[in-house]
Amino acid sequence: MSWKEPGSGGGPWGGGQGPWGRGSGGSGPPNLDDLLRKGGERFRRFMPGGGFGGSQIVSLVILILLVLWGIGGFYTVAQDEVGVVLRFGAFDRITPPGLHYHLPSPIETVRYPPVTRINRTEIGFRSPLGEGMRSPTGAELGNENLMLTGDENIVDINFSVFWQIKDPEQYLFDIRDPEGTVKVVAESAMREVIGQLPIVAPLSEQRTAIAQRTRDRMQQLLDAYRAGITVVQVQLLKADPPAEVIDAFNDVQRAKADQERTGNEAEAYRNGIIPVARGDAERIVQEAEAYKEQTVDLAQGDAQRFLSVLAAYKAAPDVTERRLYIDTMEEVLKNAQKVMIDPNARGVIPYLPLPELAKGRPLPAPSASSASPSAPPIVSVAPSVTGAGK
Amino acid sequence: MNRSRLFLGAIALIVVVILINSTFFIVNQAEQVLVLRFGQVKQTVTAPGLHVKAPFIDDVVRYDARLLAVDPPPEEVILGDQKRIVVDTYTRYRISNPLQFYQAVRNEDGAAARLREVVNNAVRKVLGNVMLPSVLSPERESIMHDIQQQVSEASKPLGITVADVRIRRADLPPETSQAIFRRMQSERQREAAEARAQGQEKAQEIRARAERERTVILAEAQRQSEILRGEGDALSTKTFADAYSQDPGFFAFYRSLQAYKQALSGADTTYLLSPDTDFFRFFAKAPSPTGGN
Repeated sequence: MSWKEPGSGGGPWGGGQGPWGRGSGGSGPPNLDDLLRKGGERFRRFMPGGGFGGSQIVSLVILILLVLWGIGGFYTVAQDEVGVVLRFGAFDRITPPGLHYHLPSPIETVRYPPVTRINRTEIGFRSPLGEGMRSPTGAELGNENLMLTGDENIVDINFSVFWQIKDPEQYLFDIRDPEGTVKVVAESAMREVIGQLPIVAPLSEQRTAIAQRTRDRMQQLLDAYRAGITVVQVQLLKADPPAEVIDAFNDVQRAKADQERTGNEAEAYRNGIIPVARGDAERIVQEAEAYKEQTVDLAQGDAQRFLSVLAAYKAAPDVTERRLYIDTMEEVLKNAQKVMIDPNARGVIPYLPLPELAKGRPLPAPSASSASPSAPPIVSVAPSVTGAGK
Repeated sequence: MNRSRLFLGAIALIVVVILINSTFFIVNQAEQVLVLRFGQVKQTVTAPGLHVKAPFIDDVVRYDARLLAVDPPPEEVILGDQKRIVVDTYTRYRISNPLQFYQAVRNEDGAAARLREVVNNAVRKVLGNVMLPSVLSPERESIMHDIQQQVSEASKPLGITVADVRIRRADLPPETSQAIFRRMQSERQREAAEARAQGQEKAQEIRARAERERTVILAEAQRQSEILRGEGDALSTKTFADAYSQDPGFFAFYRSLQAYKQALSGADTTYLLSPDTDFFRFFAKAPSPTGGN
């Protein structure tokens, strides 16, 4: 075990062949085993050619190999990375992006953590990997999206954590599986925060505050773990009631809309009837005003007329009285139909073709009596006459 | 001669390489190493870099120096109030004493198995004494702290330092979840019904108030109207009375004549008249022979 380990680059963090070492391992110097094998091959190839100068050739070959080995120490650090140089496995220095040189492997090795890259960890959902691919459902993710709230309700939450390498040394050497740790820490922190709030909190505008609290909590924990990670942002993408009860929640929203609507309808009704009532009231009052003025005016007119006539009458009472009577009778009798009957002509049976009776209007009697109260027999005669006429 | 010399040289080179390989060893930044001689721990190396050991007889055992993870599967736990929850925890630890670690559990698998047990015990013990509302409250923090404390204590002999034990999830079992869903549903239904009823209540109130207001407005107008009409009537009556009382006799005569004119002067009135009336006083005088007889 110990025999193989140091030189072969076999350990996970040993030579350049680790999960991070894409530079020195590939194009870099061959390891010791390769060197030995290749050296042997060349050695044998030159043997039959010439008996002399063998040691010179060997020296030359060794020199070339050494140069090749030395060239393997050049490495480039990409723009979004830093180079972390290890000397015999111990942290030595950090180099910025660009072309650099390190002592060839296995003396020094380099690792390239992507420090400017913003990583994203998804919880409660997974982005589809490609076009037309389906995202897994919550149940397929082990219900990691369903969280228990402080009032013992369940809420369906999807969120993303954006994080970045803060300290490459810690990130590489102080924590194994940093990404997995970010995920469990995120879940734990979010559940801790959600578990202390009522369900309305994540469903309302408190979402930003929840995301912020989760971020702070995560940062606190990751710092305690010396993970070398900074949490840039926690983004609460979805916070809904679970699918099983979402209808009920939506119905609450509808009910609230209904509540508002019925209120508005009632207001509309009120706004419809009150002005009409005011208008009606105004009309009633105005009508009464009109009536009052009319009545008073008419009364005053009539009274004034009476007074005028009275004044004239007083000047010559007898004549005026007579004249008024005759004028009136004249007017009354001018247009009316008249039948003159002499009460002294007893032998005659009066024949009365009364048009009123024909029209079914038995009205002559009162007018007769008012006009001449001294003629009662005619009234009693009239019906029989009508019957005879028919 | 050359051939054998080269052959010997090659052998020597191989031997040197093997010797180097077994004498020097690298300790990585993320590692710590135990040097064993015939299975006996001789040395603990925690400093990264190049180190020397006796060739062939010494062995190295490498341990990770980083923060390590144990994520036991979720377990159902009964709380102090007999409610059951499914708890999923995660543990983060470091190998702080490689020697002790080597003696106690040998490797990480052994440590993980022991830790799962320890965590399980601690979780059951701590959560068995708390109520569900405490888990869903700021107390959760101190509950987790208690668990961590116990795990820390129990895992000390393993040569590890527990960095953290946290509850990742504390969920209700599926069958309880269904009950919760039903309860959530009924709560929302209640809320919805309440909202609708409140809407009705408010609407009724608004309508009733509006109708009352309308009735009051109209009644007020009626009242004013009657007052105005009465005033008019009173004024006219007074005016008439003032005028007519100046000569009641003449008023009766004059007003009667007016009434006759109004009431009887239509063309549809038929009069049966006697020539004896006062109006025909002169009319009857000429044909006096009839009257004379």
